[in-house]
Amino acid sequence: MPSPKALRALPLVELGALLLVALWCLVFQLRLPGRLPTDADERAVADVLARDARPGDAVLLFPWWTERARLFVPPSVPVYGWLESDGADLGAHPRIWVLGQPELPRSDVGAFDAAFLPGRKALNPEARMGPLSLRLYENGRYRPRHWVASEAVSAARVYLEQPDGSRRDCPFDGKVHRCPGPPHLYVAPEWHEILYEPRHCLWMHAPGGAQRLVAEFANVPSGMGLRLEGGIIFEFAHPKDPRLSTSYLGVDDAATGERLLNVPIPPGREGVQKAEVVLPPGPPRTVKVWVQADNAESRQVCLDVMALEPAVGVRP
Amino acid sequence: MTAPVQAPVSLPLTGRPATREEKLTALALWVLAFAALWSTEAAVGFTRDESVYFAAAEGYSQWFRLLLHSPAQAFTDSAIVRAWDYNHEHPVLMKTLFGLSHLLFHDTLGLMRDATAYRLPAFAMAALVPALCFLLGSALYGRTAGWFAALSFLLVPRQYFNAELACFDLPVAAMWLLVVYCFWRALESTRWGIACGVAFGLAIATKHNALFMPFVLSPFALWRAWQVSEGVPEARVRAVRFVGLYAAVAVLYGLLVVFLGGPAAFQKKFLLLSPHTLFFVGLAVGSGVLLRDLKHVSLPVTRALVPLAAMAVLGPVLFYLHWPYLWHAPVDRTAWYLAFHATHNHYAWFYLGTLMRGPPFPLTYVLVKTALTVPTSLFAPMVTGFVALVGRALLSLSARTREWVRMPTASEALVGVNAVTSILIISHPQVPHFGGVKHWFPSMTFLGILAGAAVARGCFAVWEVLKARRPSVSPLAVTVPVFALLLVPALLGSVRVFPYGTAAYSELAGGLPGAATLGMQRQFWSSHVTGVLPWINEHAKPGARIYLHEVNGFSFRDYQRNGMLRPDVRPVNSPFDADIVAYQYHQEFREHEFLTWQAFGTRTPVTGLYLDETPQVIVYQRPE
Repeated sequence: MPSPKALRALPLVELGALLLVALWCLVFQLRLPGRLPTDADERAVADVLARDARPGDAVLLFPWWTERARLFVPPSVPVYGWLESDGADLGAHPRIWVLGQPELPRSDVGAFDAAFLPGRKALNPEARMGPLSLRLYENGRYRPRHWVASEAVSAARVYLEQPDGSRRDCPFDGKVHRCPGPPHLYVAPEWHEILYEPRHCLWMHAPGGAQRLVAEFANVPSGMGLRLEGGIIFEFAHPKDPRLSTSYLGVDDAATGERLLNVPIPPGREGVQKAEVVLPPGPPRTVKVWVQADNAESRQVCLDVMALEPAVGVRP
Repeated sequence: MTAPVQAPVSLPLTGRPATREEKLTALALWVLAFAALWSTEAAVGFTRDESVYFAAAEGYSQWFRLLLHSPAQAFTDSAIVRAWDYNHEHPVLMKTLFGLSHLLFHDTLGLMRDATAYRLPAFAMAALVPALCFLLGSALYGRTAGWFAALSFLLVPRQYFNAELACFDLPVAAMWLLVVYCFWRALESTRWGIACGVAFGLAIATKHNALFMPFVLSPFALWRAWQVSEGVPEARVRAVRFVGLYAAVAVLYGLLVVFLGGPAAFQKKFLLLSPHTLFFVGLAVGSGVLLRDLKHVSLPVTRALVPLAAMAVLGPVLFYLHWPYLWHAPVDRTAWYLAFHATHNHYAWFYLGTLMRGPPFPLTYVLVKTALTVPTSLFAPMVTGFVALVGRALLSLSARTREWVRMPTASEALVGVNAVTSILIISHPQVPHFGGVKHWFPSMTFLGILAGAAVARGCFAVWEVLKARRPSVSPLAVTVPVFALLLVPALLGSVRVFPYGTAAYSELAGGLPGAATLGMQRQFWSSHVTGVLPWINEHAKPGARIYLHEVNGFSFRDYQRNGMLRPDVRPVNSPFDADIVAYQYHQEFREHEFLTWQAFGTRTPVTGLYLDETPQVIVYQRPE
């Protein structure tokens, strides 16, 4: 049996523990303002970027949600930060500036480094502007791009294609290729969300039934990777309703009809789906980028196709 | 605070009248809370629901005008439906009070702005919480506990924020506490038993949460009746008859459902003159007769059972009477109301890095969310207060350990059970999980009392130690610094996040930045848009088209009515139609921000509301 003295001490111990917790809370509340950057800190970062950033550079935020930086970073430098962006390849950018706030509560530098550093090399020492840190990295995951569908779409030929090969054209009006039928049937580069990630991609809503929406591109380089990245946007990817049907995204060789890439996206599959094939060397090709879904409901597809070199890796 | 440290009081399940000093203190707390809420409300934006309730209240108040001018017409179903059909998914006690307050203080007297006039009754209800926490806490655990429970409640930022709103979550927490307080006092006086029934009727007229209360309180009443009838066989027989009456009516209703062919047929045949009504009348009359008979044999047993009868009879009657919408079609419209909440839809909710869109939800959600949102210096005593109560109860079960502790009284058990009831209900994985913490506010009042108990016993222990060395030492020498250390961090956090209450996170979460990294819902309900309205007022061109993402049309109108948004700007529903977009950062709505990039051709915002760096509202302006 515990002694009466020990039992009497329990409330004292309890209160002592509560006061220690309260003291820690007080310290937390008093320290917090000093862990946040001022506008002057943000402007100092912006000055560095305005001076030293090159075309093709990007800024990656750490933690991913610290988006106030967008107010200050020069608009010419794209800023990335989304849930899971720590591990993103950012393959379009040869150099990445990591703009960090390591002193924020729960900022986990170790976890960030584990996701970000593989394939990257720091090019300079970390600079500090108040609680902000800024460091430039060589992006070894950079893949030089020789052709990107979303950038070449104005030159594409777009049409609705029936299984028997008959076509209905979707003429280009200077901004979009608009197809006959409902207003969402068009092809154009747009910003959309695929599982929280901002993507500038080709809007290609599946037309429904057996017909395909096709964007045909000429002069696609051979001898390198041909990569398809796409998905169902926004909240439409999540439902697993059995009435919904699988969306098929693909790339065919227009001349031979060969299926080069094929990505099925069943209902409920979220995120950017990727497929890649290495095209053998040869003359440039014409490819057909297409989408199809039996039931077009909630099959809002955004995709891109690109011809890429392998990742450059980091120089020793 | 004349005697802030007292030895914890041990009481069985019996009420105790408040002393005059306690009543005055409670009144002072009510006034203080009411004044604090009123003086700070102007900064608080209009949540999506609140503007709907403003609109509903305005419509309901029109019916009262009609009642004055043309009473015969006002009582027709068509007039009632015209006025009361809007927002009939909630009972109307609070909305009626909002409307009448608006009618009086704004429309008639012109004393205050639109929104304040609607909100006044909500302040009055919310201010009851500290007052009642003090009364119950003080009676059970001493003044120190009562003071701590009272002061700490509104220092929880999300509770203070909700107390500012013309909504129902704080009022129903207040009503729940009031019902329990009346129930507890009913054990000393029959009048309080009747009051318990009235309070329960008002509680279910406030929000549907209160419908669970009889399930919580009945076991205590029956246990009390059983206990005090021991050795009084005449009383026990009558108490059993009373229970038998209720059981019989329940069985009869069950049989009626079966014989009529199911709930739908039961509902269809529930008429004024039907067995359904007869059973209810029988229950009411039977309860009265049995209790009158019982009163001659045993007053304590009668007092134990009066609250049950009062809740069973007065609850439905008051619910019916308070809501004109039910007057001509009580059964169908009540059934619709209940079905609406039984099948409530699910909203997307970001929790620990996962966007929850539907059940099953994590069992620990409520506990984790509470831990991450209640200031840690207030959450910790809630935990130790509750754990100590449960620990004492468990140790009391064994003969070996019983001597170590003081067995919890039934009154303490009443507090403990009510502290977990709402939490357990919302923790069910199939129950919709949205709205932050507001759905279990009724538990928070009782957890506050248990926190007060934890702090009070610590203060008392310290005071005893000090007194042994310096007998003249004042109890205040202990309580003031202890209260200050426990309450000041919460006050700092509250001031820091005000008026953006749905963004508040505790020290345990790492504040707002820590919560953002943990992947918690950044904010909800759209009211944080007030943080960017001054910029919009300054920079929008005349007649600008404004897309206030997530802000509904009523709220847009209310911001203009209350002088918070320029009257010349116009609402639009898409970034593509807008000159200015204020995007509310929700994980499930990222597409809306990217559509703005598409519409405006820029990814660079012009301003925003960033709380401790976390993006809350991001503003874009269409480039010229």
